[in-house]
Amino acid sequence: MNEDIVTNKLNQIFRKVFKDPGIKVTNEMAAKDVEKWDSLSHLILISTIESEFRIKFKLKELIAMKNVGDLIQSISSKI
Amino acid sequence: MKTLEKIKNSCEKFPERNAFFINDKFYTYKEFSYLVSNIKDLIEKEETKKGNLIGIIINDDIYTYSSIFAILFSGNAYVPINPDNPIDRNINIIEQAGIKIILTSERIPELENHKKLKTLKISDTSKIENKIQPLVISDISDNESAYLLFTSGSTGIPKGVPITRKALDSFVDSFFLLDYKINQNDGFLQMFDLTFDLSIMSYVIPLCIGACVYPVPSNVIKYTGVYDIMETHEITFALMVPSILSFLRPYFNDIKLEKLRYSLFCGEALYDDIAGEWSECVPNALIQNVYGPTEATIFCLTYNWNKKYSEKKSFNGIVSIGKPMNNVSAIIVDENLKILPDGEKGELCLSGNQLTEGYWKDIEKNKESFFKLNNKEKLFYRTGDICFIDEGGDFAYCGRLDNQIKVQGFRVELSEIEHHVRQITGLANVAAIPLVNKFGNTEIYLFVENYQDDANKIHEYLKLKIPQYMLPVDISSIPVFPLTSNGKINRKALLELIKLS
Repeated sequence: MNEDIVTNKLNQIFRKVFKDPGIKVTNEMAAKDVEKWDSLSHLILISTIESEFRIKFKLKELIAMKNVGDLIQSISSKI
Repeated sequence: MKTLEKIKNSCEKFPERNAFFINDKFYTYKEFSYLVSNIKDLIEKEETKKGNLIGIIINDDIYTYSSIFAILFSGNAYVPINPDNPIDRNINIIEQAGIKIILTSERIPELENHKKLKTLKISDTSKIENKIQPLVISDISDNESAYLLFTSGSTGIPKGVPITRKALDSFVDSFFLLDYKINQNDGFLQMFDLTFDLSIMSYVIPLCIGACVYPVPSNVIKYTGVYDIMETHEITFALMVPSILSFLRPYFNDIKLEKLRYSLFCGEALYDDIAGEWSECVPNALIQNVYGPTEATIFCLTYNWNKKYSEKKSFNGIVSIGKPMNNVSAIIVDENLKILPDGEKGELCLSGNQLTEGYWKDIEKNKESFFKLNNKEKLFYRTGDICFIDEGGDFAYCGRLDNQIKVQGFRVELSEIEHHVRQITGLANVAAIPLVNKFGNTEIYLFVENYQDDANKIHEYLKLKIPQYMLPVDISSIPVFPLTSNGKINRKALLELIKLS
């Protein structure tokens, strides 16, 4: 699966988790750019990504992720 | 004020030790006291009288922490203002408190335009220098306030809780009588918003002993930030809200914090099963469940969790809140404010030197919440928490008497949310319903009866009125509200509706 496919799938997940049909992820996007992106939605986002892509993140990987670009890379390296 | 003397002493005794680690940078006690002293001079130039309330715009920087102490050392009291909260709410707080001077390290144009307010930009005038500057404690009565915090108010207006210098000193005194083995070599986690009084323990206690404070940056996801700081800096003392544990729970297998010696929880119910799992992650730590409302200064009951007594010392899965600290007394009363015998459930009431003298300019609320037992002088505060005293004399927590809930440790009056929804919709029947999600965190769902307009309008309005953590995760309109047999909104039926969807 290449990064474009990951990005497309992530868009669908973000729209569902943040209940915002207009949201479009970019590499630079970070929690501060999305109004509802707090601890609670982060947990739901990560667990949705884990089940949709059938992967598992380690806590250290989550800490190292500074933006959506890091997230896409981490997903791509696991699938 | 004894607490300030302790902090002054730390600055003199440990000038080269680190006091804070903020945004990847350490600040020594010498640098901290230099800043405190300079900001104090700045305040005293503006305000020659003492005993005023001075606002601080809270930011993630050394200026904010130094300003808190500059205000206290100058004989004034501080009111923290979170710039991320809605401007309406902040203006309401500033006006209620009658604040004339506000300290900030970053410009907030909306507040600067407020005509009665003078903002002092501290980062312009106070360069950080590594010079010794002796701290002077201004002489003022300990009956004067140290700080004024605002919590959720059921009438839609934030409620002010003033805490005197004496009350804060009493907390610090009770804290050290708990016999923690801590000294200047310890590292303290500070994970709280500075408008939340648990933050005060997290920075005042380490500064009293010359230890280092590690605030969690506000621009990262909180639970990952908490873990990152704890692991990287080998934190030894951490006070957290239990909801951090429900966020970290999926990763407990990866977590081993061997340096942590004290793991305290406050602000929400701590569940025995999760405390048990956490104890495996922190094999060398004492897990302590502490309890206390802002009205009784930070916390005032403590329980040392022990796996051996798990079953005996939990009620409905919630860990006991233990016994009152030294300067506090706690009783359980019935609805007529008569003391109940041990084992019977009733409302927990608190008394002692840690208690506030009453809500800020709110006589009505004070009549409801404070009383004198058998007409004796001692004032008691009604917490609204239902508890009973177990066979060992420990207090067991059973729930709330009213519609107050906790979201990630923050107090939320559901009626405050409902009040604002009524204002914008003009509808009488609205209900904010809390639900604990599958991760163990509380989310708020909003119902409105027969609302024809766009639900987004409500959301946008609420964003202007209440902090982020109070916002409902979902808003739905239903044609007719389910009612109970006595005609009240059937909240249980609404809860079932959320679960069905």
